[in-house]
Amino acid sequence: VQPPEKPLQTEEWNRLRESFQSPERFEEVMFNNMVRCNSPIDVAKSLLTHVANSNGDIAYNLLVKYLALCVQQGQTSEIRDVYDIMKIRFRILESGAYNLFIRGLSNSDQWRMALTLLEEVKKNMIPSRTNYESCIKAAIRHQEMNLAFELYREMLAKDLVPTLDVLQAFFDFSRDMKGAELQKELFGILLYLRENQMYPHKTFMWSIKLWFESIPGGNWRGHLTNIKDSGQCPVCNHQLEDSDLTEEEYNNLRERIIRDVIHGTDTFRKTSPQEFEAFQKFVENRLPFDIVIDGLNVSHIKPRKMHCENLFDAVNCLAKENARLLVLGRKHMLGNSSNWKREIMKEMQNKADFFFAENISEDDAFLLYATLQSGKHCKFVTRDFLRDHKACLSNSVTRHLFRKWQRGHQISKKMFLSVFIQQPAFRYDCVVQTTGDTWHIPYKDTFEEKYSYQVPRKWLCIQQK
Amino acid sequence: MQSANVLLKKIVRSSVLPFAAQHGMKKDLFPLSRSLSLSLCLKQDNSCNPSEKLDLDAWKKVMKSGLQEEVSETVPERKELSSLAAAREILGMWRLAGRSVPENISEEQLKTFMDCPSKSAQKKYLKYLYLKELYKKNDKRKIEEKKERRLETQEQASKTDETKRNSFMYVWDNSMERAHSWRVAQSMTFGQPLVFDMSYEKEMSVREVANTVRQIVLGEGSNRRSADPFHIHFCNFQDDSLYHKEFIKHYREAWGKLLITVTDQCYTEVFPKDKLIYLTADSPKVMKTFDHDKIYIVGSMVDKSIKTGVSLARAKRLGLETAALPLEKYLLWNSGAKNLTLDQMMHILLTLKDTGDWKKALEFVPKRKYCGFVSKPVHELKKTLSLINTLKLGKRQEEVRKQFAKNYSKKLTQK
Repeated sequence: VQPPEKPLQTEEWNRLRESFQSPERFEEVMFNNMVRCNSPIDVAKSLLTHVANSNGDIAYNLLVKYLALCVQQGQTSEIRDVYDIMKIRFRILESGAYNLFIRGLSNSDQWRMALTLLEEVKKNMIPSRTNYESCIKAAIRHQEMNLAFELYREMLAKDLVPTLDVLQAFFDFSRDMKGAELQKELFGILLYLRENQMYPHKTFMWSIKLWFESIPGGNWRGHLTNIKDSGQCPVCNHQLEDSDLTEEEYNNLRERIIRDVIHGTDTFRKTSPQEFEAFQKFVENRLPFDIVIDGLNVSHIKPRKMHCENLFDAVNCLAKENARLLVLGRKHMLGNSSNWKREIMKEMQNKADFFFAENISEDDAFLLYATLQSGKHCKFVTRDFLRDHKACLSNSVTRHLFRKWQRGHQISKKMFLSVFIQQPAFRYDCVVQTTGDTWHIPYKDTFEEKYSYQVPRKWLCIQQK
Repeated sequence: MQSANVLLKKIVRSSVLPFAAQHGMKKDLFPLSRSLSLSLCLKQDNSCNPSEKLDLDAWKKVMKSGLQEEVSETVPERKELSSLAAAREILGMWRLAGRSVPENISEEQLKTFMDCPSKSAQKKYLKYLYLKELYKKNDKRKIEEKKERRLETQEQASKTDETKRNSFMYVWDNSMERAHSWRVAQSMTFGQPLVFDMSYEKEMSVREVANTVRQIVLGEGSNRRSADPFHIHFCNFQDDSLYHKEFIKHYREAWGKLLITVTDQCYTEVFPKDKLIYLTADSPKVMKTFDHDKIYIVGSMVDKSIKTGVSLARAKRLGLETAALPLEKYLLWNSGAKNLTLDQMMHILLTLKDTGDWKKALEFVPKRKYCGFVSKPVHELKKTLSLINTLKLGKRQEEVRKQFAKNYSKKLTQK
């Protein structure tokens, strides 16, 4: 049903209601449509009056829908009235109504009221991140930066992830403002981006750039650039952080991999204790390797070729320069079959070390273990994204470490005709980084679709003159 | 659109044209009446504007006035509520707001609700309770309707007043039950054992355990009614475990009289190891025939968050032989996980035991999971499958299906 354009009299509402196929839901449907069509508020009021006159009461859900319409049109005084009415009628309100109140009031001059409502929400439940977002933005708009940062910290303490919009608002409204404290807080936001490996989008990046350049007496200059493969910034010639983990992180990751990925809830799910022990012994006797290859994964690169030929090509290609190779496979590769020729396998075993796991074991777990055990220089070859192994890791910090390590150490191969082209592992770490007088911030284009495993290639370089 | 049209026509017929004009009708919807109503509307506008007469804020007065007395009562008692009561009140408000929330909620359910780790978990749990309540209500209503109908027919029967004579007494259910028990009792001594491994409690949530037990109860029922039942063993069964509690909920006092063997021992202690075969969908080995001398083990586990390899790991640890049903060999699999429910497993195993006919046994696999039985050569089936999918789905998905069919044939050739 199309909502009317003008307020109607009770009789007219009645008539409309009777012609509706399910009269008991008429008001609800009508209100939904009013919200959708953004009908004038007077029409909604006339319907409410009609309902109030005929029932002597208005149901909660109708009030909420009316409220949604008011919020949509920014009718602050109406929002206040609805709040007063609801407060009289109901002992507590539910989250939907609170969301609307907070959103509606934070955009008005009565934004402090939104803060008191936020306090009310906190009594019964955890406010949503959009609740905080509205309040923070309102505070920022009114230059109450301290209050905004207080709310922001409170939000982080509750494990809510702020939207990039809020973070951007901080930068937008701090332009041309003085204060060491403020500067510190905004640097803190940049470090938050770094720690959580978040990348600003283009407009956010501009906000950051403009803010830096507006700091009075700061002499900051920003440039957009692409970083060379070597990891050097073409603008300031600064070498970016390399993707290596620290000693502590590295050990932490290795232990986690053994504990969460290989053993997990039950060692038997991926391998068996005997097999894992045998593998550990095997690796320790031959350490360190330079490249660890997932044999089965590599052997499927070219579907038309025999599996062992693919593997043979890969091993030959990587065996140059005396690199020490380890190829992981499964026992069935040893059986002489149409895809696995015994002679070729023999020949390969002269060039690389091989370990064959049981056919029902997971060789990926061994791949990770052997690479990590060999040390930081060791790389591994597989086209697998290793998502399922990442998912086994129990906390997000370790998952980030894993991704970082993976970016720096995984060689995935793309096939062009018959030539192996190595896609080099990243030498530099793709996160927000600073040296004090320079900042390097990777960003993504606004409408760019980025997969979670891809990192942005564009950077903002900011330096202090 | 159509309903709006009908509505408008009605309005026109009842000659309330000025109203129809205010109602903001779509021009293209109703071209004929447009000029008519517009002209009428103009006149109307000049004479009297309805919004002038209307007091738009009248509803506020109603809402505020009707409550003045109540307010004085509610405000002073607005002290700190206990967290449970507060949660109950919030649920009440959610219900008013039209969310899927049950009408009645018990203390225990409220506690589980509050223990949910996240907002989405809470929402899910509430929806579950809400649907449960809805089903219960519907069932109750149906039973009552049935009762009424029965009463009606009885009245009619009493009018005609004709007593029927029958050579059998009405003890059908009872005697059937006795016959079944007799058969199961026989299988307790001579029958082939079937083991349910009850050691997965830690891997499951409370609801999953409840589902597991429900499935086992169904399976046990069909076993009891079959011509040649299994001798069911519950191994690794701990007293006072969640399993135990759920079983008692289902069977009540019958739990003690069930004709099955329940033990806290492991199956490896009860049976010789070389006779055991662990049935698991993750097994690399595929079952060819049903062996009457072997003892099959079924893991009593429902895993909604797909945990692969849990039961395979258990069998590996104990060094047992494993097997999977030959689903891919006989069925053209469509979608869904290959793990079946425990009652489906029971049906399949019973049928295999009786007939040894895979086709008959695999009839119990849910129809939605497969497209048909593999009777024709594989490439023909692939063709029909892709045809079905092009008809059913868009073009893009067809490519995905093709890939799937390719993989499928690859798998077949590997075996």
